[in-house]
Amino acid sequence: MSTEIADRDATIVAPEQASPDASRRGAPVHHRDFVEKVAGTLPYADDWGFPGMLHGVVVRAQLPSARIVAIDTSAARAVPGVRAVLTAADVPHNGIHDEASGLGVDAIQQPVLAADRVRYDGEPVAVIAAETPGAALEAAGLVDVEYEELPGVFDPEEALRDDAPAIHAGGNRYVDWRSSIGDVDAAMRSADLVVEETYRSQRVDHAYLEPEAGIGWIDSDGVLTLRVSTQVIEHAREIAEILKLPHSRVRVIASYMGGGFGGKEDMTIEPFLALLVWRTRRPVRMVWTRQESLLARYKRHPFTMRYRTGVRRDGTIVAQDVRIVGDAGAYPLLSSRVLFAATVNATGPYRVQDARVESTAVFTNNVPTSAFRGFGAMQVVFGYESQMDRIAELLGLDPAEVRRRNFVQRGDLRVTGEPIDTGVGVGECMERVLAELGPPSRPSGPHSRIGRGFACSMQPYGRSVFFADRASAWIGLEQDGTMVIRAGVTDLGAGQAASLANIAGEILGVTVDRTSVHIGDSALTPLTGGTFATRQLYMSGNAVLKVARSLRSKLEPVAAALLECEPAQLSFEDNRVSVGDRSLTMAEVAQAAEHQGVMPYVHETFEAETGEFDRETGRGRSFPDYTHGAHAAEVEVDESTGQVRVLKYVACHDVGRAISMQRVEGQIQGAVAQGVGYALSEDVELVDGVPSSTLFAEYLIPSSVDLPDIRAIGLELHPGKGPLGARGIGEPPIGPSAPALASAIQDAVGVRLQRLPMTPERLLDALQAARGASGSVAS
Amino acid sequence: MYSAPFEYVRASSWPEAVDLLEGGGEDARVIAGGQSLVPMMMLRLAAPSLLVDVSAAADRSVDLVDAELVLSALVRHADIEHSEVVRGSCPMLTEAVTHIGNVRVRHRGTIGGSLAHGEPTAELATVAVAEGATVTVLGPGGERAIPAGDLFVTHFTTSLEPGEVVTAVRFPVPGGRRGSSFQEIARRAGDFALVEAAATVALDEDDRCLSVRLVVGAVSDRPVDVSQAARPLIGERIGEDAVGEVARAVAAEIEVGPHTHAGREYRRRLVSVLAGRALLTAADRAAGAVHTDHGNGARA
Ligand SMILES: Cc1cc2nc3c(=O)[nH]c(=O)nc-3n(C[C@H](O)[C@H](O)[C@H](O)COP(=O)(O)OP(=O)(O)OC[C@H]3O[C@@H](n4cnc5c(N)ncnc54)[C@H](O)[C@@H]3O)c2cc1C
Repeated sequence: MSTEIADRDATIVAPEQASPDASRRGAPVHHRDFVEKVAGTLPYADDWGFPGMLHGVVVRAQLPSARIVAIDTSAARAVPGVRAVLTAADVPHNGIHDEASGLGVDAIQQPVLAADRVRYDGEPVAVIAAETPGAALEAAGLVDVEYEELPGVFDPEEALRDDAPAIHAGGNRYVDWRSSIGDVDAAMRSADLVVEETYRSQRVDHAYLEPEAGIGWIDSDGVLTLRVSTQVIEHAREIAEILKLPHSRVRVIASYMGGGFGGKEDMTIEPFLALLVWRTRRPVRMVWTRQESLLARYKRHPFTMRYRTGVRRDGTIVAQDVRIVGDAGAYPLLSSRVLFAATVNATGPYRVQDARVESTAVFTNNVPTSAFRGFGAMQVVFGYESQMDRIAELLGLDPAEVRRRNFVQRGDLRVTGEPIDTGVGVGECMERVLAELGPPSRPSGPHSRIGRGFACSMQPYGRSVFFADRASAWIGLEQDGTMVIRAGVTDLGAGQAASLANIAGEILGVTVDRTSVHIGDSALTPLTGGTFATRQLYMSGNAVLKVARSLRSKLEPVAAALLECEPAQLSFEDNRVSVGDRSLTMAEVAQAAEHQGVMPYVHETFEAETGEFDRETGRGRSFPDYTHGAHAAEVEVDESTGQVRVLKYVACHDVGRAISMQRVEGQIQGAVAQGVGYALSEDVELVDGVPSSTLFAEYLIPSSVDLPDIRAIGLELHPGKGPLGARGIGEPPIGPSAPALASAIQDAVGVRLQRLPMTPERLLDALQAARGASGSVAS
Repeated sequence: MYSAPFEYVRASSWPEAVDLLEGGGEDARVIAGGQSLVPMMMLRLAAPSLLVDVSAAADRSVDLVDAELVLSALVRHADIEHSEVVRGSCPMLTEAVTHIGNVRVRHRGTIGGSLAHGEPTAELATVAVAEGATVTVLGPGGERAIPAGDLFVTHFTTSLEPGEVVTAVRFPVPGGRRGSSFQEIARRAGDFALVEAAATVALDEDDRCLSVRLVVGAVSDRPVDVSQAARPLIGERIGEDAVGEVARAVAAEIEVGPHTHAGREYRRRLVSVLAGRALLTAADRAAGAVHTDHGNGARA
């Protein structure tokens, strides 16, 4: 059965329906954000303003490692219009505490404003609020910080040496993870071939359209309120701790975001805005420039990944031994969790009876690294997929066949010893993308070569199970039969809010145009936890599904009595409840319910499955479930210049059930664009901790002209653990691009790059090296 | 970021622009399309006290007079891109402007601004030198003509005197069997070039090279005329081997500045590749051969 959905306006699939195509019905569903974003009318964080608001700026350190001797703010204070210049001494509790791993890794408090020590270039040292942006900027230039420069360390391997300067009191080795299954050393000895390679990934910026921005004010009842571009409204509690306020006195409202990608998972402007608002008692707006965002916003972890893989002659993997070092930068943030995800996912969608994975997150004086779409589990795709191609090459086997012989199946164990407990569609995805590339293109010039490659991946969705994740939601019917959903989700632009309307509508029969979704307000919407870890569809989706079902079961007896039938006979569709040809409008049902004292609203909490993980042994339950997929690409490489052009790209993922196929395709296309940038061009280059450029124009995200049409295919093969069998799709499609392109380049010109990004210069160097001393590059 | 505060006036003629500039003092600046100046102001790399907007100082005229293509300084990149007159008389301009920025930039940026700015990667600067253009300028001391080869001094520095404005750019339109080619590589579509090479070749009836010009842009502090190195081609039928030698010699000699995204040696190799492609393509076009594109067309 073909499960690719042709109807681009398709909305939702009922689980009991055999053919998803048949279940697509009703009017096209566009949540209002589609139209408003295209029309430019949707208010983003920095579109909000207040009469009499101040403008905030952050003053940042201009060197990566130093002791702060003194800060003189008198000149800055003297600038006309300046209302506050705050330094570490002004922060009630100058520490952000987040034990990110959930498994008791020692947490280090990161100062809101650097007090005595600067650990990375761009670290905040002061904040200023002034009547105009100009005055604030002028004052920022006048904050006089006396530094005593300290030796820094910028390479993770060097940072691990005993004589390296210690960035924190406990040393530079922040966290180690280790998981193993079977006896890897014995298995390695039994292998016919051992393949050992090292792969390197780089530091990457989220490069969202909307920079970090927001506005804060004190509400009439004295509650500190922030309307910001954030993925996590629950930070309200942390902000309260920083200001030493009761949690109930801080409220965070998330505006619709112009992209988050993990970059707005840790707090961005929130603590600075909060400090300035609280101190001045005035509304304050803060928007970071591109330059400061590129300089100081937390990036993706660069990884060094050493893979040792033992295989039999037929390509079967018998042993997998992986060692990963990740550059955490100057502060912990979410590094422990990112490296955890890397560890448990490092062996990919392949069977491992004997395997060991070790990883370390290392402090350096580089800009900190933290959450970014793919979260540790995407860097390793470049490692394990490159390794599969290398095995095929050395054994003279077809790379697709080598994968077929090793793919995991439901019930197989992971390196953590836990079984995979849902169906695995990676094989189908691989066959599909290989078939979809079509006939090969012809080279456009005499120096050009065409090549093709593919890669597979497996990416978790949902938080690690030991977090015992929860999400709550509220759904009610108004007297006119319209529906209101309240849930604390934040909407990154992926349609998190719209999906909730789709899911509730599926159960209650209320159409999206008659549904209002209120999201992202820590004071008014039931908390769902942040939008990250591809958890929102899984968590809030399941919460809304649970609440919708519960509300339906409250309404069914009311409607059944009026329609003189059994509750089970009722259908909820198109804003009506019906049995046969008799029906009631949703308004009639809502009114009857209230009249009878059956309140037509419900609030409930969905609790995700839980499990234990033992940090010492590295065994136990890690992630609830995975999304599998495969990508294939065709490239043209200019042998003389090293330029790579992506000509064709197909990406396919098993999404279990598509809540909205259009949004699934959007997620895949966006992730591929980001993945291609990661593969070929993006790199936050630091020279001793200092960026070689902070111009956005020089940060090489691909433009639409650099990308081919990306063919996105969502298959509905194996039900996952999301609502109605859905699997998360936000992060999974970002992993396979780099190895797929590496293998396409190799197919074109015969050299394999093991370091990202695969720039024309690196490729040309590799080509020359491969040709040896005799070879000269033709012009 | 926000720019520093400034005053703004519009000039309705070139002489008025010159007067306004003189009255505005040292920190007065012309603004045309604003595509270079405004970003610099926003980054506070420039902080003019007065902007003299010349957009209405003249028409955006494109004229072919007496074997000369005369472009008003206000002609925009998109005007060049879409002009049949330009395509027919100086096709290298048409070929080069498509490499400039993106469609938004091309619709605002002007040729006068591009040349006056003195950015070493500017495509139009490289073309102006390769095609032997002349720049007409007006200043407090009257009008004068500057050969494009003498205009560019170093990064963001030209031989324009304070208070002078560019009013027109003149490209010679020689007849005969002549072909040209503009080759460029940028890291990303629309980015400033890593390397540019511009070549013109004239052939006799026997396909032997009568004259050749070769200019390399974007690698040094200004477009570099390396025609001298191509002299061995004169009198010969242009072929891959001879061109390869010229290209390698040019690459070995040329001064290559630093770049955020590319090493010197890499860019030197690109000079060799692009110089070769430019010469071969120009020769093919001169011979009237079907347009063999020696590039890979790696830009849109
Ligand atoms: C995103 C982006 C990408 C770009 N990519 C490219 C590219 O790939 N290649 C490229 O060449 N350019 C590129 N540009 C720059 C663009 O081509 C500019 O249009 C051009 O460099 C300057 O022309 P302008 O009319 O905008 O000049 P303005 O920005 O208005 O002025 C630039 C300078 O020239 C002076 N000036 C302007 N007109 C005159 C005049 N008539 N007489 C004397 N002085 C004058 C100004 O005082 C100022 O110093 C890019 C710009 C942007 C924003």
